[in-house]
This record gives sequence, C-alpha cells and structure tokens, in this order.
Amino acid sequence: MSTDNTDMAESSDPKETKQLSSGDEAKRSMLDKVKETGGALKDRAKEEAKDYKDPQETQLWKSIFRVSHDRSDPRNRSLAILSNVFLHLHPAKINRDAVRYPFTWGMGGITFYLFIVLTFTGVLLMFYYHPTKVDAFRDILYLEHDVPFGKLLRNMHRWAAHLMVITTWLHMFRVVLTGSYKKPREFNWCVGVVLLVLTLLLSFTGYLLPDDQLGFWAVTVGTNMARATPMLGHEGPFGPQLGLTAYNDVRFGLLGGSIVDSNALLRSYIWHCIGIPLVASIFMAVHFWRIRKDGGISGPAPVVLESEIKAVAKKK
Amino acid sequence: MQRFINKWTLLVLAVLIVGVWALNVSDWHQLWTISSAPDNIPIVAMLFLVPFFTWMGIRQAIANDRLIDELEADPKLAKTHHRKVEPWRPGWARELHVWPYLVRIEFLATVIVTVVLFVWSITLNAPLEEPANPNLTMNPSKAPWYFLGLQEMLVYFDPWIAGVVMPSIIMVGLMVFPYVDSNPLGNGYYTLKQRRFALWMFGAGFLMWIVLIVIGTFIRGPGWIWFWPGQTWDHNAVVFDKNVDLHDMIAATSVGKLLPAWALSANPGKFIFGMIVVTGFYIVGALFFHWLMTVDFKKIRLRPLRLFPKNEFEQKLLARTSLLQYLTFQFFAVSVLLALPVKLILRLALTIKYVWVTPWFNI
Amino acid sequence: MDSQADQLSAPSVGTPARTVPAAKPATPTAVVESSSDPPVNKMRRRMVWASVAGSLTVFFLMFVRFFLPRSILEPSSIFRIGSPNDYALGVDTKWQQQYRIWVTRTSDRLFVIYARCTHLGCTPDWKASENKFKCPCHGSGYDSEGINFEGPAPRPMDRAKVALDAEGQIVVDIGTLYEWPKGEKSEFDDDGAFIRV
Repeated sequence: MSTDNTDMAESSDPKETKQLSSGDEAKRSMLDKVKETGGALKDRAKEEAKDYKDPQETQLWKSIFRVSHDRSDPRNRSLAILSNVFLHLHPAKINRDAVRYPFTWGMGGITFYLFIVLTFTGVLLMFYYHPTKVDAFRDILYLEHDVPFGKLLRNMHRWAAHLMVITTWLHMFRVVLTGSYKKPREFNWCVGVVLLVLTLLLSFTGYLLPDDQLGFWAVTVGTNMARATPMLGHEGPFGPQLGLTAYNDVRFGLLGGSIVDSNALLRSYIWHCIGIPLVASIFMAVHFWRIRKDGGISGPAPVVLESEIKAVAKKK
Repeated sequence: MQRFINKWTLLVLAVLIVGVWALNVSDWHQLWTISSAPDNIPIVAMLFLVPFFTWMGIRQAIANDRLIDELEADPKLAKTHHRKVEPWRPGWARELHVWPYLVRIEFLATVIVTVVLFVWSITLNAPLEEPANPNLTMNPSKAPWYFLGLQEMLVYFDPWIAGVVMPSIIMVGLMVFPYVDSNPLGNGYYTLKQRRFALWMFGAGFLMWIVLIVIGTFIRGPGWIWFWPGQTWDHNAVVFDKNVDLHDMIAATSVGKLLPAWALSANPGKFIFGMIVVTGFYIVGALFFHWLMTVDFKKIRLRPLRLFPKNEFEQKLLARTSLLQYLTFQFFAVSVLLALPVKLILRLALTIKYVWVTPWFNI
Repeated sequence: MDSQADQLSAPSVGTPARTVPAAKPATPTAVVESSSDPPVNKMRRRMVWASVAGSLTVFFLMFVRFFLPRSILEPSSIFRIGSPNDYALGVDTKWQQQYRIWVTRTSDRLFVIYARCTHLGCTPDWKASENKFKCPCHGSGYDSEGINFEGPAPRPMDRAKVALDAEGQIVVDIGTLYEWPKGEKSEFDDDGAFIRV
C-alpha cells in the first residue's frame, strides 16, 4: 500500500504531505482499494455460497445427521439403525416374514408408545396439579376449563391408560398364540407378567388422584382388602396376635394413615408419577434387552413336525 | 355326535340365544346407558378387538396346520420345503433391512394410534364424579373395568383371598406357564393342532377374565345385585341372601341327619368336612384335567360308551412332562381355572356360600 | 443397488466395503430384498417429512399455549383500609404485613405507597427515627413521601390508586400503580393517585 504513495511524497512529513497535497488522488486510490476489496469479497462470498447450496452437505448438517436417509444402499440402511440412539434397539436386519403385521399385531411396540404418550401427557398435567386434599379436585376442574388444551390432555391421559391395558393383554395373547414364551424366552415372559402387574398398579394409583368419588371408593375397597391379609393386616388371621393394629399394619403402610386422606393422596401421587414408572422403566429395559439376546422376534418360525422333535428317553 | 357340532350349528345356537334374550329385554335404554358410559367404552372396544385379533391368529394357525398336514403326508416335500406359509422363492433374501421396511410400519402404527387417541379424547370426556366424600358411597360403586374381575371375585371369596391370594396365584400361575409347558412344537408360529391343550388352558383363563368383567360391567347393578342386561336397575331392589354353607346344607338333608351333631356343625367336624371336600375337589379336578390333557375328542362315542379314548400325540407330550411340571400345572389349573367357575356356579346357582369353614379362613 | 451387497450379506455390517469378486456365486438371478425398489420418489419423501414437521409444529404450539392458563387464583388487588380520619400526619405502617402498603398523610393529601423498592423489588423498612425508608437489599433510601434520594433506586416508590367509596371508606387498588419515572412527568398528581384531605 505504501508504495503507491512514495511518488507523491515530498518534503518533511511524508504522511502529512500526502494528505495535504495529494488529497484527491489519495482519496481515489482509497476508493479503488475499497472497491477492489469489496469486489474480491463478493466473488469469494459467491464461491463459498456454492458450498451451502445443498444444506445436507454442510458441516453443520453432517455433524448432527451422520447418515443420509435419502440413499437406499445397504450400508446406509444398516447405519440408519445402528448409529441412531433411538432406533438402535432394533437389529439392522430381520427376517422378511417378521415384518408382516398379522404375525405380531405390533401390540408390544404400541404398548411402549402408549407408555411414552402417558409419560409426556402426565408430566404436562403435573404442571397444574397439587396433590393435596384442598386442591386436587379443583385442579382437575381448572385443567378442564381454564387451561388451554387441558381437557384434551386429561382425556388423552385417561384413554391412553385404558388403551395401554388393552394392548398389553392383546400382546400377551399374541405371545401365547405363537408360543413365543417357550425356551429360550421363558424369563422374558415372566418379566412381561411383572410389567402387566405394574401397568395395572399404575392405573390403580392414578385413579385416586382426581380425588373424586370414583377414585376414593376404588382405593378404599382396594386397601381394605389389605387389612384382611393374614399376618400383615390387623383384621386378618393371626394379625392381632402379632400385635398389628389399624396403625401399624400393611394397610397403614400403604396409606400413610388409617384412613384414605391427604397422606394417601400424596403417596398415590408419588407411586404413580415416580416410583412405579422408574421400576417399570427398569423392567422394560430388561424386557427389550432380552428380546434381542434371546434371538430377536420369535417368528414366524419354520414349522416343525412332530416326527422331528428329539425323542425323550422312555420313562419306566 | 361330531357331525352335529360344527360351526353352523353353533352359529344357529348363538343366534337363538341372543334372540330369546333380546325378546325379553324390557329396558333398552338401560343397556345403552351402560354401553355408552365413557369409562365402559374400552370394554365395548374389547368386545370387537378380541374377536378380530383371535380371528387373525386362528386364520394363520389354520394355514400353518394345513401346511403341517401336507408336510407330514409327504416326507420328501418336508425335506425341501421352506417350512412357512409365507411366500418365498430361491434368490429372495431371507432378511430385510429394518430401515425402511420395519421402521415405516412402526411409524404408521404410531401415527394411527396417535390419531385414534386424539379423536377419542376430543369426542369422549374422562369421567369426574363429585368430590370425594367419605360419608357417602355411590351405588353401585365399581372399580375400573380391568379390576372388575377382582371385584366380582369378592362375591365368592373372602376379601383377602379374593384380593391377595387369588391375584397372587394367578400372577405366579402365569409366570409358571412357560415352565410347565413341555411341548417343544409351535415355538414361533401359530398352530392349533400342535398346541391344543396349552391354547385351551390359556384361552379358558382369558375367557373367564373377560366373563367376569362383562358380569361386573353389564350385569351387576345397585347393591351388586344381579340384573340381566336390559333389566332396569332398581335402586330399591332387595334380595334375600339365602346362601348356606355347605356343611349346613348337608346337615339339613336326610343323610346329614343320620350323622351325629358334632360331625357337621361343630369344630373339629366342620373343619374335617371342609378339608375332605376341598381335597376331593382337587383330586377330581386333577383327574378332569388329566382327561382333558390326554383324551381324543374325535373318538368319544356314546354308543358304545367310550369316554376316555387316548390321543397318541398328547400321550407323547405327557411322557415328556416331568412329575414336577405335571403337579405344578395341576395345582394352578385346579386352583384358578376350575375353582373360579365352580365357586361361581355353587354360589349363583346352588346358593352355597362356603365349602370349608375354619376359624381362620373360609373358602 | 441391493443385489450385490446382499450376496455378500453374511459378514456383519462392521466390515469395510469390499470390491465385488469377479466370479459370482451359483444363482444366476440377482438377489433382491423385495421387488426392485421403484426410483426414489423425492416428492413423496418431502410430503411425509413436511407432514411430520407440520404436525410437530402444531403440537409444539399447543404445548407452549398450554403453559398460559386463562385465569389464575390470586387474592384480590382491591381492598378497604378504613376512613381518612383513622390516619394521623406522617407514615402509617399498619397495613404493611397484610397488603404491602404504607399510608402517608400530609397537610393536604393522603396517598398509599406500594412497599416495593424500585431497584429490584425488595420491601424497604420505615425508619421512623431517621424519617426515611431504607431498603435492606442494596441500601436505597427514600424520604417520608417515598421519593428516592440515595442508593441504586432509579425512581420514587410507586403509589396505589385510592378513592373514597359511598361510606367514606378508602378503597385501595394495588393493581393500578402511579409512577414517576426518572426524567419524565410525575403521575403522583393524577386523579386517583391521592385523596384530598
């Protein structure tokens, strides 16, 4: 840059002389310089813009989505599953017949999806619900009338719960019909039975939360059965002999009191929102893990003829 | 006899029963009120879903059974056939990529379930009754539908048996199911003829659960009194409980009067009587299940009387069953699958309350 | 596309891509996963992704709206505090606990100061011996009429709307406040900001 000005340099202070005497020319060359740099930058910008024409080729995109779903080659299809945290429970490939709907009915997956729906709607409902005797019922009315989409959310939560019980039973029914509880999947079946019980318990604890007549009496009857349990209930056989009263038997432990009151509501709330979901999540993790480890989806398996099963040594 | 029992006669019979009932219905409105209650919609839905999926499964089972028959008749075919009813040609890959072939079906299912939930939630409101009032119980006071089975059991058994013991036995019985099933066939495919007994056992339990729920929903009215569907629910109806314990019932008969008083009316006579009844029930029940397990239904004849023809296939399965498996199965089968309907009939039809009365428990 | 890779489908996915050997295995027909895939229908894919994105957007908007209820349960902001004769000259703190206000009476006016420091919202203390309000949080100081003179407070404390009802009782509404923002016109002389006595 300074070379341009050396021609213009005259006496004592070169800088000052430049500015005073060669003002116009200096300004012009300044303008040219700006135009030049501007032009260069514009061209550079145009070149670099070409790189962003296809958003899916940018560094930003590729750093988030490592696998392109547009390409249909086997490598991409396998990676779409294996490199995706939400999908990697699936194997990369399955038997072509297992994809057919009539075999599995999809009920296991639907049950899991309903669990997610229930968790999501449940968490949202928690923003407007106080688990106290004073507020609980009123909060449900508030949700239904004064909260935008509150009615929809509450209904969705209730109906998804009912639907989940139905789909769990249908899933169980299908597993029995296809014999998918047989070796080596016996343990997974037992885990499934536990999950069924947990589903029913989730329904039961949730039932009390609106603190209406329906829930209150359902829980009263349910916990009253506990007080007649032998050795654990104060009205059951051997209960009084063991020193059990209405204030220290298993019913007391469930309700946090001798009556269905504010303690029972709070305990129900905690079991429903935190306790049982955590336990159920653990069992679900085991259940899904075992599906893969036991050999994936059980069928449709090739039919086996009676003549082909290994003969058992004749007993006496 | 077998000629007359086929799907058409059963259909005609079903239509007749429904017709006779429908003609006697006095209150259609009552039926509609019950069926349309939002909390009962899941049961109404199940009345359609369960038959639909059962049909879907049985259809595949029949197709598989046909294939099995074909393969058993032709050993050479059995060696080369790919052993499934689903089509396959040499050159077809045996496996498909999960993405997209499975994942897109799952996505579709998710979308459908979400849409169903939204439509259901927009059209039907979740129930909300009056605020909890410990001093006032509604009539009838019913549990949610999936617990109605339990609530119905409370009619026949003591609270802790109906609420703690029976559910526990049912739960453990379910868990034990794979371990007592010694049949290696049918592992991963639908079949009826290879797994007849296991399917009947589970089906019976499933059916009973559904029957209890239907009773609890449509039949039990105020005061938990029995109202046939279509009968108006009378809140002032009073039913006299003429239920009698078994030992008292026997004591009142001519045979019972012959025995000394202590034998049937006082301890320890009562206790021993009940114990004999229950033990006898278990033995008869076990024999019944053994018969079910091994009989060949097609060979039963009334003339000449042949009630116990043995089924070759089932006999072979029995040979593979260990003693422990057999006894475990019998215990759970009799305690749940037989005890419940028997207790139901004893109470509802024969007005017998308890068969075994002890100072600590009653059955 | 799938044919050759599926012929080599035996090894796991982890193996690196390999070149196809020259001699193919026995079957003359190509191994296909299903009937050969139709050409990629980009429009259909875009429709599906657009529908997914659209639904998720709608759900997100519903989600956000859900957090803003149409009504709230909070105590009323309007209440009565007796008649003007109940108050002597100066600052009266008797309603501070219940309503968060001080009642100030001067020679010609009665007004209600809302007891919120204009710095960051703490409740100042009335120091009668020093004749000033002092905020414990950061030291803002206000005179006996609530005008700030020291500390970080940017403006005087706000005053609540006051009026006399039919029985001569003072009605206070802390939902309507009169401010004197720095450098702007004071609202303290507006109608409703004080009662003439």
